[in-house]
Amino acid sequence: MFSGNIIRFIHVGYTVFNASNKTLLSKLRKQTGYTFANCKKALELNDYNYSLAEKWLQDQAQQLGWSKATKLEGRITAQGLVAVGMEKNNAVIVEVNCETDFVARNKNFSSLVELAATTCLNHTASVPVGSHLSRFQLDAEILKSLKVHDGKTLSDHLALVIGKVGENLSLRRATCFHAADGILLAGYAHPSPNFQSSVLLGKFGAVVAYQADSPSQSDTKLRENLSVDEIGRQLCQHVVGMNPVKIGEVGQDTPANNPDDESCMIYQEYLLDPSQTVGEMLASTSISVLDFARYECGEELLENTENNSSKVAVEIGG
Amino acid sequence: MAICRIGFAVFKKTALYQVRTLSLFLNESKYNTQVKLCCDERYWEVDWSDQQVRYLTSKTVPVSDDIKHCNVGTIGHIDHGKTTLTAAITKVLEEEGYSRFVSYEEIDRAPEEKARGVTINATHVQYRTKMRHYAHTDCPGHSDYIKNMISGASQMDGAIVVVAATDGQMPQTREHLLLAKQIGIKNIVVFINKVDLVDEDVVDLVEIEMRELLNDFGYDGIVTPIIRGSAKLALQGDNSEMGKKSIISLMKAIDEHIPTPTRDTTSPFILPIDDAFTVPGRGTVVIGTLERGVIKKNDEAELLGFNVKKSTSVADIQIFKKSVPSAEAGENLGVLVRGVRLQAVERGMLLCARGSMDISNCFESEIYFLTKSEGGRSKPVTSKYIQQFFSKTWNILCRVDVKEGEMIMPGEHARVIITLLRGMVLLEGQSFTIRENNQTVATGIVAKILPSVSLINTKLHKVQIPNVHN
Repeated sequence: MFSGNIIRFIHVGYTVFNASNKTLLSKLRKQTGYTFANCKKALELNDYNYSLAEKWLQDQAQQLGWSKATKLEGRITAQGLVAVGMEKNNAVIVEVNCETDFVARNKNFSSLVELAATTCLNHTASVPVGSHLSRFQLDAEILKSLKVHDGKTLSDHLALVIGKVGENLSLRRATCFHAADGILLAGYAHPSPNFQSSVLLGKFGAVVAYQADSPSQSDTKLRENLSVDEIGRQLCQHVVGMNPVKIGEVGQDTPANNPDDESCMIYQEYLLDPSQTVGEMLASTSISVLDFARYECGEELLENTENNSSKVAVEIGG
Repeated sequence: MAICRIGFAVFKKTALYQVRTLSLFLNESKYNTQVKLCCDERYWEVDWSDQQVRYLTSKTVPVSDDIKHCNVGTIGHIDHGKTTLTAAITKVLEEEGYSRFVSYEEIDRAPEEKARGVTINATHVQYRTKMRHYAHTDCPGHSDYIKNMISGASQMDGAIVVVAATDGQMPQTREHLLLAKQIGIKNIVVFINKVDLVDEDVVDLVEIEMRELLNDFGYDGIVTPIIRGSAKLALQGDNSEMGKKSIISLMKAIDEHIPTPTRDTTSPFILPIDDAFTVPGRGTVVIGTLERGVIKKNDEAELLGFNVKKSTSVADIQIFKKSVPSAEAGENLGVLVRGVRLQAVERGMLLCARGSMDISNCFESEIYFLTKSEGGRSKPVTSKYIQQFFSKTWNILCRVDVKEGEMIMPGEHARVIITLLRGMVLLEGQSFTIRENNQTVATGIVAKILPSVSLINTKLHKVQIPNVHN
């Protein structure tokens, strides 16, 4: 075991630890942020040469992270963040988990989630796609093996952060959308965090793919106050808040008896204006929803639901 | 069966809520449906299985059994030994003859708790030192501590921050201290754990770093006690400096550094009114428990609440039918007020030193919306949410506004702005609930009083509300 090695090392390889060494240790710890045990080991192995020790730590960081990751493997990760990344005609929604929500609020972790989202975006852009709307799922194994811009894999980066925060972390899942011209994508994450980031981060996330027909005379008035983009964002907010199971189709699906149990999006009360249903709102603004994805951090997943819905999505898109 | 001592007014009006809270506090009564209360110098019995409050006995309670109480909690990284430390504290204090030992396993598998209907993942352990009785809380996550604070399950007077000497502070230690700030913890004691695994020099550095970090977060890094030890050794019965003795110094530091919450007797007095009646030939008497300060005969006073601001003065003070020249916070009393007609007084109003308080109908609040399984809503809340607001002995229509364009999902807590139909006196930290169709859907505390907003024709939905910050 890793920690066992350190203890043994300190006990056996005891050297006179004077005041200047103490300053070095303090400085190294401040600069690198690695644990005291590791900083001390780095200094001892490098004869208290600061730059060598720092280099050793950086070289070892990956390995130290991996050994910590192996040690913590299997511990339950039910907290975390959902990230929604958008770029041109691509959108991704990614979930990364950790053990406590303290870590979920920490910058080290949120940067990792941002990195995962942008990596998935790049991956989506590189995959050859069909002519309409394509959607595909990335599971934990694929996510781990994705290459980041610096040549390392996402799981390497994951291990580095595990080494820093000392909690088990896991890349759980991602859904990627690639839209052809004319199809719009909107994303939303809730609750919106207090800090700025390149992607949207929250406990919930949604991506909606929709089409906006050119509005007729009367519709222009309805859309007057809201741009199509804003309606897209509100649709995502609706998906997060009302948790629809499917979009639904007039004629095929019937509204539920109790409006509170409605799981068909078009029959649900529109979150931002409960006086109308989503279907009515869409009709009045000449917008049609093609597909959506909703992530709730830590939610239980039913087997294969994602696969089924992606099939439906392809059919709608095609 | 637990015995609690609370103010009479609190007991009379909101006994069920208070009792639930108190029983959670006292842990042992968790599995009982009955609690014995000591109140108005008599014992009362409360049975909330059928929501009944029964008078038990008129036996007067000896005052001397009063022991000071303090609420503490542990915060720290999951692998730094919080649970071991808690177990070690109970073990050492048991040896000292004050407490019952609670094993690691018992603390670890604590069931979920419900306070005011809110499910909280929390462990409550109680122990005693020579000086005080402690309720010790440990929660796994940030949101559990927030829920704990909002629902009032156990307000923490101080925190023990646990940090392992092997690792030093972690990146998320910043989040731990931010939390402590957020839930209003003013005093912290640090326990550096696992010191048996590293050299003393490293422990020195861990301590220096912790002191710097405490300063960064507005705590006093110089006077904050930092205790070094090994909870594991203490638990194993080691009597060395690192073992048992470190736990004893930790408890001593907590006894000394975290002050017992005291009744405020120096601020201007506040008397929330529970009831009022007329004494023929004399005038109107208002009844309540003095919340803070000292009230004296002939004090200039003001009657506030429900948009009313009426100047008056204290003609007489009575405690247990005896006239007294003055009374201190915590006492249940009747006040004869000059020039006030009975019709002008409503339950929920407040009598205070003239000019010391003001009414407002708008404030910021920290609120938690119950999940559907807790009996709350199934849908999120957006702005202009209008429902009935309950606090202390009064209730009134209110409107809840969230940050522009945002929403609150059931099970989430957030900062919101609440506007009441009429101006009331609100105190920071005052708790309230919001009910919809006779179901509690939210519970919260007042965070910051804002200037009143004017309501035209009492139409809440038309008011312009200031933006929610944060």
